[in-house]
Amino acid sequence: MHFLSTCLLSLLAISNVYAASLTLQSPRFTISSPDATQLRSEPLSTTKKPSPLVLGAKDVLKLTFQVVEEEGKGVQPHQTFLRFYDEVSGEEGIQPVRVTTGGKAKFELNMAKPPASLPPTTSTDPLKVTLIIGSFTHDPFKVDLFDLFLPASQPAPQHPDEPSFHSLPEIHHTFRADPKLPPKFISAAFAGLVLAPWVVLLGLWGAIRPTVPHLFSPNILPFLATLSAFEGLLFWYWVDLKLGQVLLYGGILTVPTLVAGKQALSTMGKWRTGRK
Amino acid sequence: MAPAKTHQSQQSNAVHSLWTAYNQSTSSRLKTVDAFLVFLMLSGVIQFLYCVLITNYPFNAFLAGFASNVGQFVLTASLRAQVNPQNRSEFKDVSPERAFADFALGSIVLHFFVYNFLG
Repeated sequence: MHFLSTCLLSLLAISNVYAASLTLQSPRFTISSPDATQLRSEPLSTTKKPSPLVLGAKDVLKLTFQVVEEEGKGVQPHQTFLRFYDEVSGEEGIQPVRVTTGGKAKFELNMAKPPASLPPTTSTDPLKVTLIIGSFTHDPFKVDLFDLFLPASQPAPQHPDEPSFHSLPEIHHTFRADPKLPPKFISAAFAGLVLAPWVVLLGLWGAIRPTVPHLFSPNILPFLATLSAFEGLLFWYWVDLKLGQVLLYGGILTVPTLVAGKQALSTMGKWRTGRK
Repeated sequence: MAPAKTHQSQQSNAVHSLWTAYNQSTSSRLKTVDAFLVFLMLSGVIQFLYCVLITNYPFNAFLAGFASNVGQFVLTASLRAQVNPQNRSEFKDVSPERAFADFALGSIVLHFFVYNFLG
């Protein structure tokens, strides 16, 4: 435990020695118009932001500074970025800055030829400009430099496919009206018409008067009974039963039907050949 | 209009003689079956007329009824053909009893499907 704490302390001491902090020396910005007249030139402070800068459509902003350690030695950090951030819309753009080995850096923003990394700007909201420095051997360093008003940018061009990604108009289904039954009189009349052929059938059979000499013979009757039972089962299925039940009962009924049928039809065959 | 009259009377004579021949030469059993066939045909025609003229609204009902008529007609016609003693030479290996058994089985299966479709 004692050994561990001394180890940690020594580790902290070593890391302290390693991590020096960075700062800026003599940061300065200059805004000049296209014909090289200086509009504004001020030194920057790392603690207090100046009044917001305003750039016209063709003005040039020059930024110079030197990155130094606490003792004043110039340092070339591994990463130096300027971040342009629009707080209202949330857009940001990052611009790397070239730093010499001595730590001297110079950044120029020419609005006549703006870099592609600038975020879209509006005429009313400023861009917050921040300097971000990263180094393997020093603590990271970030400073808010100033607020910048740039001319408003063009709106983003619309992709030709973009309208197809919006939601389509809502579909309102129109349903067909329910089918209607014809008037009761017509229904009744045609019901009577459809049942009329039964009358014709009964009339014809009455005229023909077919004889059924062996209808109630004990050889024939069971077969007719089982056939009628089948028809009754099917009617029962129509009004009440389910498919599984009717198939089961039908399967059961098949057995006596086959037996009775064999008996009846063989008897009929014998009578027919006997008569012949 | 003498030729037209004789033509018509010839026609009616032909129909009349056909009818008389049919009546005399067909057995009563075959006539029974024929009456059933006529009944089926009438029933089917009237159902079809209703569907065409009025409405086909419960379409499954129309199909079930019409199919039952047509199916039963087919089965009965085949039974009549097989049972007719004058056709013995064409149906040597199908006895009339076998024909009737086929007819009964086919009718039961047809009725099952028709009841199924009627709903």
